[in-house]
Amino acid sequence: MASPNDNRDEVARLIAEAARFLPPQGPIDAFVAQNTLQGFEDLPFEEAVIRAAALHDAEPFLPESRYREELARGRIRAADIDAVLAADLGDRRFAHLAGGRITLGELCRQLLLHGVRLESDAAVRWTLTESPAIERLRPDLDETARERLMGLGRAAGAATDIDAERNVTGELWRACVETTSRPRPSVVHGRPPVRHRDLLLAVDPAVDTDALVHPLLIRLVAAYLDQGVAAWAMPDRDRGLLAAAADLVGRGGVLPEGWTRPLPDRMRAVAAACGPGLPPESISLDVIAAELEALGIPRPSWPDHIARSLVALRGWAGMVRQLEIRPDRAPVVRLPVRLADFLALRLLLDRAATEWALGRRGFPIAADGAGDTGLGAAWVELRDRHPPRRGPGSLARGLLLHQVSQLVGLTPADIQSLDDDDLVDLERAIAAFDAVSRRRLFHLAYERRHATEVLDALAAHATIDVLRSGRPRVQAVLCIDDRCESFRRYLEEADPAVETFGAAGFFSVPMYYRGIDDWHTIPLCPIVIRPTHTVTEVPEEGAAALNRRRQSRRRLLARLRGGAESGSRTLFRGGLFTSIGGAIAAVPLVARVVFPRLTARAASHAADVARRGIRTRLELLRQVDVPLPDGTLAGFDVAEMAAMVRRLLEDIGLTRGFAPLVAVIGHGSTSLNNPHESAYDCGACGGGRGGPNARAFALMANDPAVRKALAAGGLEIPAHTVFLGGMLDTCTSRVRWFDLDRVPPSHAEALSRWLADCTRAGSLDARERCRRFDSVPLDVSPDEALRRVEGRAGDLAQVRPEYGHATTAVCIVGPRSLTRGLYLDRRAFLVSYDPSADADGAVLERSLAAVGPVCGGINLAYLFSRVDPVGYGAGTKLPHNITGLIGVMDGHCSDLRTGLPLQGVEIHEPVRLLLVIDAPTDRIRNALGRLHAVRRLVENQWVRTVARDPATGRLATFSAANGGRFVPYEPESLAIAMAPDSTSWYRGRRDNVPPARILAGSITPDTAP
Amino acid sequence: MTAAEIAFLHDAVAGLVTWQLAAPAATLVAIGLPALVGRPLPERATTWIVGAGFTTGFLAALATLAALAARGFVPEVVHLGSLFTANHHAATIELVADSLSVPYVCFATGLCGLVNAFAGKYLHREPGFTRFFILLALFGTGMNLMVLAGSIDVLFAGWEFLGISSALLIGFFHERRNAVDAALRAFTTYRVCDVGLLAAGVVIHQAAGSGDFAQVFAGTWPNATSLLPPATATLVGLLLVFAALGKSGQVPFTGWLPRAMEGPTPSSAIFYGALSIHAGAYLLLRCEAVLDAAPVVAWLLLAIGVATAIHGAVVGSVQTDLKGMLAYASMTQAGIILAEIGLGLRLVPLVHVVSHAILRSLQILRSPSAMHDRHELAAALGGHPGPSNSTLLRLLPTGVVKGLYRVALDRGLDEPLVARFVVQPVLATLEAAAAAERRWVEFLGGAAAGSPRRGDDGGAA
Repeated sequence: MASPNDNRDEVARLIAEAARFLPPQGPIDAFVAQNTLQGFEDLPFEEAVIRAAALHDAEPFLPESRYREELARGRIRAADIDAVLAADLGDRRFAHLAGGRITLGELCRQLLLHGVRLESDAAVRWTLTESPAIERLRPDLDETARERLMGLGRAAGAATDIDAERNVTGELWRACVETTSRPRPSVVHGRPPVRHRDLLLAVDPAVDTDALVHPLLIRLVAAYLDQGVAAWAMPDRDRGLLAAAADLVGRGGVLPEGWTRPLPDRMRAVAAACGPGLPPESISLDVIAAELEALGIPRPSWPDHIARSLVALRGWAGMVRQLEIRPDRAPVVRLPVRLADFLALRLLLDRAATEWALGRRGFPIAADGAGDTGLGAAWVELRDRHPPRRGPGSLARGLLLHQVSQLVGLTPADIQSLDDDDLVDLERAIAAFDAVSRRRLFHLAYERRHATEVLDALAAHATIDVLRSGRPRVQAVLCIDDRCESFRRYLEEADPAVETFGAAGFFSVPMYYRGIDDWHTIPLCPIVIRPTHTVTEVPEEGAAALNRRRQSRRRLLARLRGGAESGSRTLFRGGLFTSIGGAIAAVPLVARVVFPRLTARAASHAADVARRGIRTRLELLRQVDVPLPDGTLAGFDVAEMAAMVRRLLEDIGLTRGFAPLVAVIGHGSTSLNNPHESAYDCGACGGGRGGPNARAFALMANDPAVRKALAAGGLEIPAHTVFLGGMLDTCTSRVRWFDLDRVPPSHAEALSRWLADCTRAGSLDARERCRRFDSVPLDVSPDEALRRVEGRAGDLAQVRPEYGHATTAVCIVGPRSLTRGLYLDRRAFLVSYDPSADADGAVLERSLAAVGPVCGGINLAYLFSRVDPVGYGAGTKLPHNITGLIGVMDGHCSDLRTGLPLQGVEIHEPVRLLLVIDAPTDRIRNALGRLHAVRRLVENQWVRTVARDPATGRLATFSAANGGRFVPYEPESLAIAMAPDSTSWYRGRRDNVPPARILAGSITPDTAP
Repeated sequence: MTAAEIAFLHDAVAGLVTWQLAAPAATLVAIGLPALVGRPLPERATTWIVGAGFTTGFLAALATLAALAARGFVPEVVHLGSLFTANHHAATIELVADSLSVPYVCFATGLCGLVNAFAGKYLHREPGFTRFFILLALFGTGMNLMVLAGSIDVLFAGWEFLGISSALLIGFFHERRNAVDAALRAFTTYRVCDVGLLAAGVVIHQAAGSGDFAQVFAGTWPNATSLLPPATATLVGLLLVFAALGKSGQVPFTGWLPRAMEGPTPSSAIFYGALSIHAGAYLLLRCEAVLDAAPVVAWLLLAIGVATAIHGAVVGSVQTDLKGMLAYASMTQAGIILAEIGLGLRLVPLVHVVSHAILRSLQILRSPSAMHDRHELAAALGGHPGPSNSTLLRLLPTGVVKGLYRVALDRGLDEPLVARFVVQPVLATLEAAAAAERRWVEFLGGAAAGSPRRGDDGGAA
């Protein structure tokens, strides 16, 4: 018998192991798109998705019918299927089947190109009687195969073609049925599940103990984690979930009925144990071990049982886990959260429900007491009774063989001549190429077509480098975000003298930030970084008094509004408020519903008026070196600022040839009535808005002291260059600028021209975005498009304020010259990188460290939410119900819905990120060698990696099959479509548009300024 | 006013009132028929048609209101036809436009119109788009039928439309088990309580020889008096109150209401924030004369209303999800409103209903904004408001507070009570009946015919 301590260590280890499979999503107010299957990154992608799908009861790939539609419309081509089959089967594709008449490769190819379903025995009977399956040849046969079979039919003496067809299909059918009736149908033994609940459900679909346990468990956990929705908080939350819940449930109070009858006594015992003495963690671990023993689960099954028990309510369990490891991410209340508490509580409830359900089904379950209650015996018996999956009957197999024979060209005589071994081999080969295998290959083919399209375009598109060809008028640094691609393209299309760069949207300024209207600081940097500095926005000296008045007005209004809001729900004030307040509420109700855009405008106008005259500045320069209460320093010193500025400029390769105006533009997104609002903000800012980072960067780069420090280090920024910070709202396509009044008068003209450029680019960007919205006509004008996107942002009824990253597919790390003038359809992350200035690969390593997890994470989050919107995604938004200010449920009591909502991913094409890196392969390999997490993503093919040799421009794709080598890529075609401008290229289309060369945006020697 | 003018006015009002009922019914047909033959209209046309129905209905109601106001709110009775007559017994289809029904139609139709406009965008690309609007039109028709009803029979018909559309919208996402369970729960509660209304109708017919309110009540709302004998009035009153309890989610039938938040947000807003939840209040307001005649019933109503209000406030204060919290807030107000009716007030509850419905539907429609709103509030106040544990709780001993919290977290005591003393006995009876049937079948048809299918011997909880 193991000692308690060993038990505890063992259970704790198993929990940590299982916790990897839980969704990595934290509270919804800082939604960071991450790989849904982070816990599986150790495995190759294809294997991982299949294993994860089994664990989560989800889909590994899109449905086969979807891929077949894509095949039919040419999105997947036969060439893609041939290529992925050749790569997947290798030499096995030449293996002989059916006595050497066909090869495995041919069989698989036909099964992919033509849909053949294995029907159930009952369905086969229907098919045989109600459809002409055994009277007519398949309509999708190619001509030669068809003629060959028809020839046989005619030879047997048929007057007409129809008779011939009937002859040959009938004969083939007889041959198939005779053949398949020889060997016996097989029985497939799967491994039975380990939880009582799943075992019971398999025996009796009407009994689901989770349906009993979950409502109570969800209520308890939700109450525990609540961040301030409930007016009455759960008592004793500081003692941990198990102690608090056991105390409450142990009180009884409520009439115990049914399965909950033994709960109060047991919970009282747990609550008693939770007193002083052992640390709470140990108590939970003890409870878990005791419950597993009582459930009668043998030790070897513990890991599986623990994993399954957690995954059964994975949204809530995952949230518990996230708050356990990152308590600082709790929006309001920090709590001592432990996944072990959750599991202990769950198992306590599970056992009670299981006993009840088994008792009702006639199992001898002891009422309660020490030792064995009969659950273990029941577990063993249920596993024995677990219904085995029967193999298909001979009719079903006959029909399958009949269909396949036509496709691969086997004649009735061929079939009759098969001996038993041949037949078994053939049937096994067909069965082995099951639906999941087919979908996997379809998916690979689907991705291959996408890669071919993009890589061919990249190979064909060559322009000269603007940096070296002339003096730019303005340089703009935007986020690498795929949504900034179109904005950059329009800026460049309008003026060849505008140059743009892409950098992770926190602009190398990791900080906690607090604006003048904020109540606490928020981290603005990738989630892997914990900032060590805090920056505050303060009113200018002259505006301090004005701001105080405004803040007190604001506080008063908020108090009134908040009071009315919460008051309307109480007993005494509620009666009063609701009977009077309705008349007042009618105004916003009608206004918001009938005139959403006007109302939103009026509201933002009112906010602007209130802010008018209050100039603010950032407290960037550190005054004292004493840390703040949270341990961070207030502001940066000059050396730190210089280092950050240098780092960004070096990363993007902007170290000389500065334009007079350099705009640094972060991004964020505002939308109403959208719990997932934060999912549309900047991933590089940890689900925050990157405006303050851009502003801070511009202020630092303009600071004479910083410039002096930079010059001392060899990075000279000319005196006439001015940096300007701004923020692009990706929902309204408008840019908000910071500190415009600090731009010197010498730049006034350049500035006003630039602001007009951005407004114009914004409206064109809005129009390009609008083509994706079904509810906006395709011929909308740019100004109307701008009004439309603005209206969506402020509309309570709009569940698609923007599509976010919903088309993301590519990431290109390299100079803009690779992609300038290339229409990438808002589908590419563009990371500026100058391979010529990075011989040691230090910059590449830095860039990949950020780009891999951020872009890869976003791409995979969208991929999985699209592949299975219910299993991995958050499902439709329509019944979503915010709970505890940490997440959403479906309706009144469901698992927390993690992942992205259906409305955000519906237009997404789920392909893995195509990561193109413009660097020699050695440098890439070295950089990856030092980045464990990114290397794992690359080597296990969670991203598709392509290297572009900067010297030759040749592409090479990373191939895991050959021991992780880069294999030269041969373009299918070097012809590239051309269009005068972006608008004329996408016009009239709603779906994805392939890359094309946009002449207006391309810099050729003639247009170079 | 000359006789001709009065006749004209009467005809005009009759036309307008009919239109208020016909408009949503016509839209129901206009969008329902194409869907029935498998060619549903495009989204835009669907919303436009339903919107046009509600808007014209709303305008007609406003015009009626003006016409009525011009004549000092003398009720107008519109006779639509007669279902059947037997001897001195008649079941007629009558609508009545008076100072209760017409303002109520204005408000209900207006709200339906707003929710229609909202849902047109909210449900864009949803596979059940047409179904939602069919149910909304059905609801609007039922609502106006119930409100304008001039007889208990017509009112019952409208009441049933309301119930079925409500249950179907709760189960809108029928691929989820929770939604279907919740719909079934609401439907069962409705059906049980509908017995009260049906029985009340039968008793009224029996006592008055007609279901027309004009035959049952004398005078005009809100000063009508009951023509029923006192004992009958008490019986009818009890039955009506029983009917109202289910639809308005009152103690002890509160359990279905928080569970009903399973459908799309706009339907939750209009049903459980605004209109459906107040159907019970409307029924009792319409039949207020019965309550006047039966003080026992009025007192009972007052007690139930107060109990519900307290229950809703206590249970609601521990809810951690937005829609659940708003459901209990609605329940609290519905309880207060019923208590007001029990106190003999008439205009106050009417105003309260309208005002509460508007406020609450706005809150539910906005509930996905909660994160946004809370952050804004916290930013303005300089900190998160956090839980506002009331002073009352601080005065009670910890044990009592925890016990109360536990009860509140379990959604009160009425649910387990009903489960134990109503649902379980009924289920046990049904199971016994099923077992008896099996035995009979076995006895009559041999063992094979009656052998239990797998899963028959247990299951339903």
